[in-house]
Formats: sequence, C-alpha cells, structure tokens
Amino acid sequence: MDQALLIGSPTHAQLNTQLLEPTWMYRRGRGWLVAFGVSGALTLMLAVCVTYTVATGIGVWGNNIPVGWAFGIINFVWWIGIGHAGTFISAILYLLEQRWRNSISRFAEAMTLFAVMQAGLFPLLHLGRPWFAYWLFPYPSVMGVWPNVRSALPWDAAAITTYFTVSLLFWFIGLVPDLASLRDHAPTRTRRIVYGLFALGWRGDATSWRHYRAAYLVLAGLATPLVLSVHSIVSSDFAIGLTPGWHSTIFPPFFVAGAIFSGFAMVLTLVIPVRRVFRMHNVITLRHLENAAKLLLVTGMIVSYGYAIEYFMAWYSGERSEIYQFFHARPFGPRHTIFWLMMICNVLVPQAFWWRRARRSIPWLFAASLLINLGMWSERFVIIVQSLQREYLPSKWQAYTPTWVDLGILAGTIGFFSFLFLLFLRYVPFVSVTEMKELAHEQREVHS
Amino acid sequence: MNRMLGEYADADAFLRAIAALRSKGYARLEAYTPYPLHGLDEALGAPRSRLARAAFVVGIAAAAGAYGLQWLVDAYLYPLDVGGRPPHFPLAFVPITFEMGVLFAAFTAFFGVLALGRLLRLWHPIFEVERIESATSDHFWLEVAAADRCFDVERTAADLRQTGAGHVALIEEVGS
Repeated sequence: MDQALLIGSPTHAQLNTQLLEPTWMYRRGRGWLVAFGVSGALTLMLAVCVTYTVATGIGVWGNNIPVGWAFGIINFVWWIGIGHAGTFISAILYLLEQRWRNSISRFAEAMTLFAVMQAGLFPLLHLGRPWFAYWLFPYPSVMGVWPNVRSALPWDAAAITTYFTVSLLFWFIGLVPDLASLRDHAPTRTRRIVYGLFALGWRGDATSWRHYRAAYLVLAGLATPLVLSVHSIVSSDFAIGLTPGWHSTIFPPFFVAGAIFSGFAMVLTLVIPVRRVFRMHNVITLRHLENAAKLLLVTGMIVSYGYAIEYFMAWYSGERSEIYQFFHARPFGPRHTIFWLMMICNVLVPQAFWWRRARRSIPWLFAASLLINLGMWSERFVIIVQSLQREYLPSKWQAYTPTWVDLGILAGTIGFFSFLFLLFLRYVPFVSVTEMKELAHEQREVHS
Repeated sequence: MNRMLGEYADADAFLRAIAALRSKGYARLEAYTPYPLHGLDEALGAPRSRLARAAFVVGIAAAAGAYGLQWLVDAYLYPLDVGGRPPHFPLAFVPITFEMGVLFAAFTAFFGVLALGRLLRLWHPIFEVERIESATSDHFWLEVAAADRCFDVERTAADLRQTGAGHVALIEEVGS
C-alpha cells in the first residue's frame, strides 16, 4: 500500500470532532453563500418550469412525433445512472471488503438519493398527466381496471420506488450511530433534541450492533443485485422496443456499466471540492481519488466495448435501418455533434487514466469528471433522440430541438440536486464517523 | 432494572474485562461501544443475529405475493390482449417480482434492527449516567445487570475497577 486511506493516526475523539464539527461549525464563506444562492435560484426555476409544464401540457417541450421521448427520458436515465455509483460504493465495495469505501460511502449514498429524486421527476412529468401517476400501482378501483404489468412502465415504477426506498433505508441505518453521536456531542440543546429524535434512541449496545451489522450486510446484499436490476430494467424500456439502435441484447450490461461510469464521475465532481472546502485530506486521500479514476477507466472501457459491439451487431445483422442508424444517422445525421461529443468524452477522456500522473492530478480528475458527465448525458441523447429521429420509414424522419422549458428543467434538476447536497453537507456528518473509527481501530491493530 | 456500568478507555482492555467478568461467573452483561467492536459478540457469548434469515423468508414471500398479484390483475381480473401476447406471461412478471422481494426483505432488515435492538425509545435509563456520552465517542462501557446472580454492589464495582474501568456508576430505578 503506497498511499494510506487514513493519514496520521487520529484518536477516536479527534475523528469525532473533525467529522461531526462541520454540522455546527460551518464556514460562512462567500463561496458557500454563492453556491447556496445559485442552486436555490435554479431550484426555483425548476419549480417554475415544472408548474408551467403541468399547467400547459408537455407540448411546451420539444418532443415531436417521431421523437416522443427526448429530454424527459434522457435526463431520467442520466440521473438514475449517476445514482448507481453510490450504491456501487456503499454495497458492492462493502461486500468486497474494500476499505477505501468507508470515507466516501455516506457521501456517495446521499448522491444516490438526491440523483434518484431528480430522476423520478422525469417519468412522472413525461406521463403528461402526472396527477394520474397512481394508476401505475395496482389499487382496487371501482372501474375494475388494473395496470398492464407486461409493459415496461410499471416495471420502472416498481424499480424506481424500490431503488429509492432501499437506498434511503441503507443510508439512514448507516447514519443512526452518527446521529446518536451528534445527539451526545452537538453544542446546543435544540440540535441535541433534533438529532436525538432522528437517532431513534440509539445506545450502541452490543445487541443493537449485532443486529445492525446483520441488517447492514443484508441491505448491502440486497442493494447489489438491485442496482444491477434497476438499470437493466431501464435499458429494457429501450431493448424491448423495435426502434433501430434500441433492439439489442447488450443493453442491460452496457447500461449498468455506463451508469457506474457516470456515477463515479459525479462522485469525483462532488468529492474534490468538498475535500478541499472541509479540509478532509486526511480521510479522503489521493488513494481514494486514484481508485475512483481506475474504476472510471474500467467502466469506460466496458462502455467503449459496448459501442464497438453495437456497431458490429448493426453491421452483422445486415438490417438496412440498423446500418443506416449507426453508420449514417449517428455520425452524420441531425445533432451529430452530440454523437462526437459522446465519443470524445466517454472513449478518449478516460484513456488518460492509464497514466498514474493523470490519476493523481486533482485538476485533471475534476475536468475529466465533468467531461464524462457531459459524455454520458450525450450518450443518452444519442440513444434516444438519434434513434427516434431515424426510424424505418423516411417519411417519419424528423429532427429534434429542445425548448427553453426542456433546458430549464435540466438545469433546474442540477440546481436542486446541488441544493440538496449542500444541505446534506451542512446538517449531516458526511463521512461516516463510525466506520472511520473502525478503520482507525483496525489500522492501529495492524501497526501494533 | 438496576444496573452497574463501568467505563473503559481501551478496546483491548475492554474485551479482556468482559472475558474476566465472564470467567468470574457474570452472565448478564451488556456492552455499549462507539462502533461495532470486532470480537465483542464472541466475548459476550452472544448468539448470531437471525435477521438475515428473517429477511430471506420475508423476501421470498413478498416475491411470491408479487407474482401472485401480477397474475391476479393481468391474467385473471383484467386480461388485456396486447398484440396477442399471453395474459399470463412469466418472463414479463420477473422485474416486479424481483423488486418486491428486495423491497420487503429490506424493510425486514431495517425494521428488524429497530425492533430487536429495542430502539425508538428516545429515553433510556443509561442516558442518566454521568459521562455516558463517551460511549458514542471513544469509550467503551460495560453493564452488569442487578439481576445477575453474581451481582453485589460492592463486589461488582470492585470487579469493574480491577479490570480497568476508570469510572463506575450505579443506576437505581424507582420502583424496581
């Protein structure tokens, strides 16, 4: 191990202070206020755009007749994909006993929750009449009408609600011991009462820990297949359709890899500034960042492989519409810039991570993470919009242009996500104090 | 329930103290630690948690129920002919079956901890102990229940001190 996961050997009390303190001693810097202001303003803009959409109808979006999905589904897939890295870090790496997950897992799980909240908004609005969303759930109505569960839409409803609920439970149960610590150590009585309510009376007794550990393992074990299933189900929305560019069996693994790819990019986008602002260099070390970069390289290579196979299968199928879709419509058709953006950001950019210097350079990591986020958004644009722009019949061909409402909602969800994240950083210990103490304890045992 | 608590600063000393007390015949011990301490369950002789098994059973039952519900609404109550596809189509029922199994197993794990750990009680007698907040920071507390057959106010306090407890407290509850 060339680089430690925890620098120095802080005592438990020091860790307690360092990691809990940001919840009551925040720096009222100008940057912080600006970040709050901008993300709050974007959140308001989201509210305006959503209200306008719901009051007028989704005709205010750029969707047209061949391109009926567009931004509503692009943003949905993008956000839910970002969420996947959080579950990957908190559940899969937990089962694999990867110690480096400890300090970033809480953080990544919160990212998951907030990203899934943004994601859930889009299919809801895309229904056109969101006030009838409950029709997706089987409830006994006087009309005797039931949802058709052989369609992908109820699958999505089940997958997203389950994913959100399980992520929330997993995040919250991990948080309970830290909230108990805040209940006992926060400076004011109000804080102690509020944190005490959320701590659910946690005492840290051996009986509770025993069941807690069992439950944590169960939740990790459940979240692992869950995270693979959610994006597989999302990909089925496309794969079970006959549109050229969609009807492909590689979609589930290709989508899951893309999701983790984009999610790790978002983890880096968030962790790099937080590490700096809160001076967490001793608990979020270069090794964490380097590991994330390695995962970006791996998942980026899987995504690139997915692109290659898509091309190969299109050519190998001999199907004219497929060949046209991949060899003409995507690289040269309408909105082809976004196709090339996707190729550059998702295939070329992660190649830099073969070099150790790139994996350890903070500016490059941050820039690459932004580019990959952009690249993965472009990928969903290419899959959805470019495929629908060029279906089988040339008489159906039509280009797509988003409206200001589309762009406003996208920017608004980015703002709302950031706003929630800032609140999280402000009020919740964003590095698991309990797990860091465990790590410190283990390190001490190894050294002694 | 009356009880006596001792505070320990060091994890290894704490585990040794539990072993020492158990060898003296104490059986009703409980520990309060700031993080899940490796080897604590073995030291206390606690049985394995059966929560995983419960979650498995509930998950399977929920998955079966979800499949049954899909059959009920799609094949029995409201069979809808979509492109001639069979109303009872197992492959299309897989996603929701799986998701519901996961959801209810997760509920079992989460609410299982709350129930088995007797949480949701915002106040507990041990919260009255002076310095108990160190149990969520960096100290380890050992509790001996007064119902323990070896319990004796003086001897137990001496035993706790002898095994390394820096601070010993007795809780006497009114009416017990």
